[in-house]
Amino acid sequence: MIGNFLDQFWSLTFGGLSLGFIYILIALGYTMVYGVLRMINFANSEIFMVGTFATIIIIRDLFKFTQVSEYATGFRLWLILGTALIFAMLVSGILSMLVEMVAYRRLRRMNSGVLAPLISAIGVSMVLSESVRILTDSRPVASPRAMEKKFLGQFFDAGIRIDNTIIVISALVLFAILITFVNKTRMGKAIRAVSMNPNAARLMGINIDGVISATFLVGGLMTGAAGFFYTLKYENTSAFIGFELGIAAFTAAILGGIGNIKGAFYGGLALGLLETYASFFLGTQWKAVTVFIVLVLVLYTKPNGLFGEALTQTRA
Amino acid sequence: MNKSLIELKNVTMKFGGVTALSDVTFDVKEKEILGLIGPNGAGKTTVFNVITGVYQITSGEIIFDGKSLAGVKRYKITKRGIARTFQNIRLWGDMTALENVMTAADTHKKSGLVSGLFGFPISRREEKRDKARAQELLDFIGIGEYSDRLAKNLPYGVQRRLEIARAMGAEPKLLLLDEPAAGFNPAEKVELAATIRKIRDAGYTVLLIEHDMSLVMKVSDRVVVLDFGQKIADDSPRNVQDDKRVIEAYLGVPEDAS
Amino acid sequence: MFNLRDKGAEIWENQGRIGRIVIAVGAIAIVAALPFMGGTFLNTPVADYESVLVYPIAMFVLMAIGLNIVIGKSGLLDLGYVAFFAIGAYTMGLLGTKTDLNTWEILPIGIAMAMFSGIILGVPALKLRGDYLAIITLGFGEIVRIVALNLGALGRSEGIQGIPTPPGIFGIEYAFDSHRIYYWTLLILILLAIWMVRRLSARRAGRAWESIRQDEDAAELLGVPTFKYKVWAFVLGASVGGAAGVLYASKTLFIAPDNFTLQISILILACVVFGGMGNIWGVILGAVILGYLPDRIRFLSEARLLVFGLVLVIMMNLRPDGILPRKKREKAIVKKDAS
Ligand SMILES: Nc1ncnc2c1ncn2[C@@H]1O[C@H](COP(=O)(O)OP(=O)(O)OP(=O)(O)O)[C@@H](O)[C@H]1O
Ligand SMILES: [Mg+2]
Repeated sequence: MIGNFLDQFWSLTFGGLSLGFIYILIALGYTMVYGVLRMINFANSEIFMVGTFATIIIIRDLFKFTQVSEYATGFRLWLILGTALIFAMLVSGILSMLVEMVAYRRLRRMNSGVLAPLISAIGVSMVLSESVRILTDSRPVASPRAMEKKFLGQFFDAGIRIDNTIIVISALVLFAILITFVNKTRMGKAIRAVSMNPNAARLMGINIDGVISATFLVGGLMTGAAGFFYTLKYENTSAFIGFELGIAAFTAAILGGIGNIKGAFYGGLALGLLETYASFFLGTQWKAVTVFIVLVLVLYTKPNGLFGEALTQTRA
Repeated sequence: MNKSLIELKNVTMKFGGVTALSDVTFDVKEKEILGLIGPNGAGKTTVFNVITGVYQITSGEIIFDGKSLAGVKRYKITKRGIARTFQNIRLWGDMTALENVMTAADTHKKSGLVSGLFGFPISRREEKRDKARAQELLDFIGIGEYSDRLAKNLPYGVQRRLEIARAMGAEPKLLLLDEPAAGFNPAEKVELAATIRKIRDAGYTVLLIEHDMSLVMKVSDRVVVLDFGQKIADDSPRNVQDDKRVIEAYLGVPEDAS
Repeated sequence: MFNLRDKGAEIWENQGRIGRIVIAVGAIAIVAALPFMGGTFLNTPVADYESVLVYPIAMFVLMAIGLNIVIGKSGLLDLGYVAFFAIGAYTMGLLGTKTDLNTWEILPIGIAMAMFSGIILGVPALKLRGDYLAIITLGFGEIVRIVALNLGALGRSEGIQGIPTPPGIFGIEYAFDSHRIYYWTLLILILLAIWMVRRLSARRAGRAWESIRQDEDAAELLGVPTFKYKVWAFVLGASVGGAAGVLYASKTLFIAPDNFTLQISILILACVVFGGMGNIWGVILGAVILGYLPDRIRFLSEARLLVFGLVLVIMMNLRPDGILPRKKREKAIVKKDAS
């Protein structure tokens, strides 16, 4: 068993890393919203799920790929992937803003406490997953493969697959853009101001509703990108996918210290690797259980996260 | 003089960089009304918070009734005999005035869930007795007629008084009142002063935070003054009023600064 | 807005002891007679009317009463309530097929198992903030299902088959398709649960829960052992879920992990929220309506969960107190004063 593990170590690690980057992007959706609202965005998992379907719509319906199509190459390939990524991000981003308007906004104005918005967000997430379930007839949907999954090279014994490489690099780029946005732009600074102290931010003349909308948009964009990467990697989705990925990504956010953008990065990576290694030993059916145990342990022992800086510092 | 009911010994409370209490030492004697005054942000409410276990003190010691309060759970501190009111009213709005008092009174109940479920006689007796006692307390504070009204619908002044009645419901030896007269008009303040004395005469010890100087000076047996987290005076009302440091720190500030 | 609750409370409060007994007995008699009304407009075109009375309606009512202790009384959001239902059902399934114990003997064991897991989950989880509790319970509900799906002893995806029906008592026989017998059995459990909740609510526990729901810190500082009462709420809620599970298994005679999905937790939550968190009559009404309508109105049965999701959003935003809000005694008193 251990010998096998060592043999496969690098290939597991690459898979775990790319899964980790998917988690990072979804975790950003949770963490950013948590930063400004101090609430878990329960619908984020379904925003991810919709992102996977948006990807499939582009590949399958816009570019007419089927399971037997020839792979795209060169410029056409990048056009397809780029379009799918941007479409998934936009769909998820806009949906995320809508979710905020429907599930949270009115209740925030009524100052209703925590319970009501949580329930309302759960309702929205139910509506989303059920709508998709009915549309897809409860069946999983396969994404046609537009890109040949070549190996780019070898690292020790493990092949470096092109899709994993694309995921890691693009997620890093997206993360860098996000950090720049939060630190350098006006809106980014406003988001940080609101998460540090909403009242002070309001007194400074910041439009809180606008900032919250923007935060949901940005969180949704990241989560949508995760939907694209997931589909690229696993080539499969269903109406039920949000739940599992959502709870894992949420765990990643907690692991890094929820509300903390850099924490989402470390938390996502740590969880992606941990989950992949654990599945190797225990079998994939116990994946969700592993994740849950991690979540519980972290919440009890280090509720501010393993990589917790002071919560107020790098808060979204 | 009576013996001390509670003693704060070199209590320091730090919040990150802010030192809210710095080496504060004073005591409250049994059956005493001790006034705790000081400008805004002096650390008065923080004294209540460390006594009631909301925060664990950074250093020092708090002795109540001969025993240290370090690490004691908050509800158990209440059970030992300390109950408080809140500067910003925190009643249970969806409960009636009577239920607010009874909930605090449950602190000392013997019967719990199981005997409540099966309606054991002990539970029924206790329930009846506590109801009567809660009503008595409301009458005592002068808001008896509001017993069946939801707390959130009560007039402001009644809510402030209900805070006191609720705290008394827990049968404390030491009653902590955090600005009970905030927002009261002069007539109401006079009435409240009489009530506070009546409370002491009924056997309670009172630690009173109040901004209104004349009220504090009138009812207190002794006054402790805090400024920037430090104790700057601890004396009779008359002497405190004449104390230079106090005048500088506090009395120089217009009385309505709150 | 119409105020059914206050109207009802007024009628009830104006009755003497005899009047109340008459009303209570009459109401129970009408409810108990429901299985005979299948020929009327109440009939359900989607599924067999009498079986609908048992599941979902009566089962939902029972579980909604249990969940209401947790969420409505003490304000704790439990999103994994189905776990206790599953634990009750699997206890029945395992013991019913592997031992000679019968349903009535297993019932207390199933309840105890559910309560025990309520403690295991609750003691650590209830120390956490409310929204973390929601996530933890959500995860727990799923974990129980996944464990059932992967443990050979629990039959994996095939589940457990051949679970025995309850043995007859007082000459009443439980046949697989005698729905009304099960219905009446559930009715008794429901009445017991109502009795328990009402009893507790009127006393110390009810006040403690109420104070925790409204301002937990203030409660703790005024001497309420908040943690203890939160655990109690959680465990009592679990016990009702466990009881429902045992009966469910003993009725369907076949259980599988698919019967215990997250969706069940959400359905029950919707019943509670729709009816009126904290008000037991509201919760019952909510469960009856949401249990019944999807089988009465054909297009609803397809989109059952979609509709329930909508119910959650709409109720929270427009009528967060549900159709029968929790008691607002104030009004009745003011009216009395005026007259
Ligand atoms: N939880 C906390 N975290 C950080 N700082 C705190 C906290 N609680 C109190 N402080 C600080 O401690 C100082 C004392 O506050 P405290 O509320 O005790 O003042 P106070 O004397 O009651 O004032 P007031 O008259 O306005 O009620 C203030 O500077 C306050 O900002
Ligand atoms: Mg204060």
